[in-house]
Amino acid sequence: MRLAFVGKGGAGKSAISGTFARQLARQDHKVLAIDSDPLPGLAYSLGLAIDRTPPIPDDAVIERKEGEEGPRWRLNPDVDPFEAVEKWSVEAPDGVRFLQFGKIMGDPKNLWRSQMAFRFIINKLPEGRWNVVGDLPGGTRQAFTGWGSWASTILIVVEPTAKSLLSGRRLARMADLDPENPKRVMVVASKVREPDDVEMIAKGTGLDVIASVPWDEDLAEAERRQLAPLDFAPASPAVRAVESLVERLSEERVA
Amino acid sequence: MKLAVVGKGGSGKTTTSSVIARTLARNGTAVVALDCDSNPNLGISLGVGDEETERLVSMRQALDEGEEEHANNWDTLISRYGSDGPDGVRLAVVSRIDNPEPG
Repeated sequence: MRLAFVGKGGAGKSAISGTFARQLARQDHKVLAIDSDPLPGLAYSLGLAIDRTPPIPDDAVIERKEGEEGPRWRLNPDVDPFEAVEKWSVEAPDGVRFLQFGKIMGDPKNLWRSQMAFRFIINKLPEGRWNVVGDLPGGTRQAFTGWGSWASTILIVVEPTAKSLLSGRRLARMADLDPENPKRVMVVASKVREPDDVEMIAKGTGLDVIASVPWDEDLAEAERRQLAPLDFAPASPAVRAVESLVERLSEERVA
Repeated sequence: MKLAVVGKGGSGKTTTSSVIARTLARNGTAVVALDCDSNPNLGISLGVGDEETERLVSMRQALDEGEEEHANNWDTLISRYGSDGPDGVRLAVVSRIDNPEPG
């Protein structure tokens, strides 16, 4: 399973993807959770402290030497993508491995090498060894510039608001970005409060809604306390809804 | 006054800026609201509607695709790429639009 969560900022991507990754791992499947947001988010939802997640070292990417052909930057040939994940990811609860690129905590000018290495490693990660669950930053920038190209399924997290629907409609175009690797694109309805919210989201995006995550005070409280929803409120309706989503997609797991 | 609103996604930047813009305009100030988001939706919060928001976005996009000339000064930019919203707020989409590369 290679699954990327995208959507407008604040729609619930991190809370849903972090909970999804841990529930998938609880069923004894190898899960790699990846975060390409320059601001911290997914780590909290997994139940990890931010300071336990150092960036990928700068020398994981190398610059083309004078006279050489090819792109200016590439993954260091000494770096094997699978080993890189083992080495530079950290362990999160339930055995999830967590890999992120550099966060805007230190000197931002040094982050781009770590971010580039992250992208090379994920794109070259062999098929079938990990279930990859990714959390992209809010909006369309990364989604439209190849940061989700590793994924085979895109889940757009959409709230029942006009702005979230508009973002959802724009993100639906990810399906056709790479004609040789078409992606399955579906919607996860989020913060659902009213009976007709799901229908509004289906109509407003023109996509299938594969799951409906209700508005849930417990989830909001977990965010307030910087706790993983799965630890703070394991039986809450939102966490249960994510559990059903795991079931829906479970035939694609890598054992 | 030149005011920029920033913050994490979903924290309320667009809503906050739209209310500030309209409140200033109601108090008699001439206000230009600039949408600098790569996923622009300020038009929705200001109240110009979905269609007009997308029209401004597609005009901005035409610039990136080389079909239109960039405005060479402020007045041209605001008149050519702007739209009148409620309370007389003039809205313009000025960010480079993230558009999936074709094929």
